[in-house]
Amino acid sequence: MQTKLKNVNQFLSLLLIGFFLLFLVPIFIDYEGFALPKSFYQFNTIFLSILIEAIPFVLIGVLIAGFIQMFITEDHIRTFIPKNKILAIWMGCIIGSLFPACECGIVPIVRRLIEKGVPLYAGVAFLLTGPLINPIVILSTYMAFGNDLEMALLRMGVGFVAALLIAFIVSILYPSNQLKRVNKKKTIILKKRRPIGTRIMDMFKHSIDEFFDMSKYLIIGAMVAALFRTFVSIQSLFPFGDGLLHSTVVMMVLAYVLSLCSEADAFIAASFKTMVPSTSILAFLVYGPMIDLKNTFMLLSVFKFKFVVGLFILITSIVFTFVTLTNFL
Amino acid sequence: MGINTQQSLKAMILGLFALFFLKLHMTGDIGKYINPKYDFMSKIAIGFFLIFLLIQVPRIFQKRHAHHDCTNHCCHHHHEKWNVGKIISFAIVIFPIMTGLTFAPATLNSSLAANNGSILSQISYQKEEASLEELLNQNSESLTEKESIDIYSSDYEPLVNENYLTEEEIKSKHEKLQNAEIIEMDEDIFISYYSSINDNPSSFEGRTIKMKGFVFKEGDFTENQFVLSRFFITHCVADASVIGFLAELDGADQLQQDSWLEIEGGLAVANYHGMEIPKINVTNWKIIEEPEEPYIFPIQTWVE
Repeated sequence: MQTKLKNVNQFLSLLLIGFFLLFLVPIFIDYEGFALPKSFYQFNTIFLSILIEAIPFVLIGVLIAGFIQMFITEDHIRTFIPKNKILAIWMGCIIGSLFPACECGIVPIVRRLIEKGVPLYAGVAFLLTGPLINPIVILSTYMAFGNDLEMALLRMGVGFVAALLIAFIVSILYPSNQLKRVNKKKTIILKKRRPIGTRIMDMFKHSIDEFFDMSKYLIIGAMVAALFRTFVSIQSLFPFGDGLLHSTVVMMVLAYVLSLCSEADAFIAASFKTMVPSTSILAFLVYGPMIDLKNTFMLLSVFKFKFVVGLFILITSIVFTFVTLTNFL
Repeated sequence: MGINTQQSLKAMILGLFALFFLKLHMTGDIGKYINPKYDFMSKIAIGFFLIFLLIQVPRIFQKRHAHHDCTNHCCHHHHEKWNVGKIISFAIVIFPIMTGLTFAPATLNSSLAANNGSILSQISYQKEEASLEELLNQNSESLTEKESIDIYSSDYEPLVNENYLTEEEIKSKHEKLQNAEIIEMDEDIFISYYSSINDNPSSFEGRTIKMKGFVFKEGDFTENQFVLSRFFITHCVADASVIGFLAELDGADQLQQDSWLEIEGGLAVANYHGMEIPKINVTNWKIIEEPEEPYIFPIQTWVE
């Protein structure tokens, strides 16, 4: 039985390596004239461009996650995070606002923090404001809307308040940490200090494993976003007139599916300026960084499915409500 | 000595990622995926991948279940059993490297432009937008404000950047736009000229313009019409939007969609749903190869 299993394993790994090598061949062969539909090449280019744009940030994210894993103990976190729920949520939101992250780089960081004992609600607060509010995003929003601070300020303000509320509701609805793999054995507290060299090595090893964990979800997300961009006409999203609510919903769908980096999305948003009311553009700007398609897939790798669905519904309904309310300001 | 298959696969993938990014930089293909201004980030990525690779290689020879050095939260990969899920995961991670190394990057074409909506409505919308020229001035303003740099003092040295243009260069280019016999839409100043002309088409009426772009035709165009277009990219090709000028040429129906042209012609004003948009009456044209730099990037007068 044992040997049989071993054989199967060996067979599978050989198969995979064979498959792998098969793919390596084309690097050395010129594929000119190899006829795949043109739209495949368009898809592939967009798909890769999203990855090329996102991967450096994911790498930074997993490195920070590795650092937290090896150098920050549960004790640090216990003394650092306020006991008070509301204070902890505020702190998560504020640290997120100061932290220049993008929505894919922040997921591994949040996972590590929550594993280390940061309460879920504080982690969510950090997750929501991290990509949404940071100096680069504010500057690019300010620029994209032609020196108009209003949109940048609204984006920050509405985003921050929405994040506070979402994190607060999370704190009521979800008492446990909602992580996917909670293995008690794994969480042994770092008791004796090991040499710094080993710890740095371990930090990198964790980062590597984290990268492989995260990247497959990023890749699926990028793939779906690229398929959408290649095959779906944006105009087809505006089929029934252009009421405010309708256009807001459409802009949120777009923000979700296009999965743009929060640093670049303001320019795309600005290009819709004459098509939809500015309230709907605000929805696009606030919603996209909080949750989008590629980031949903990454969240699924970290949190339980039910929680991700719950969070998605929460973010969607609260952002929608808040943005619509700004209309009456 | 046992070799750990999963760890070696990981090492291979890390190496290939580094190779892929390296290849993008060596061949210059990076500009066909992302705005080259942001390419330092992907250079950092190469470094990270190489470091990861160095650390990953010894793990290939590590015995299973022998992680004495790993005291807390031992990684999730200790029970290195193969199952369908693992195989699918590896296949997913390998997929982009393979397509990336195998297929050359495609230049975005009219089918994508069409997805963004009718080209003329896109163009007339852009007209309504804050002029990019203004935006450009704001950029330098915001820098001046932010870092209190006096751009007119002699101490001020512009930072060197790929598509970087100094204030003087932009000024002189704009003088050219006002006075030159032929307006040449070079890639570096394209977006600035484009928005100036689009904002105020009538003031350029009768001037001669020369530009390169790809042919884009839509159902409701007349036989002699097409739009000579370019893609404008802020960050990566996923955020591309199409820009261009309506052109009129007898026999334009013979032109293939997506073929690249260099045209010369007189600027005129056309009316599109009550909005004035510029139009080129083509006098000279030739089919060209797709240029090295098919995309238009924003002008940067500063560095983040």
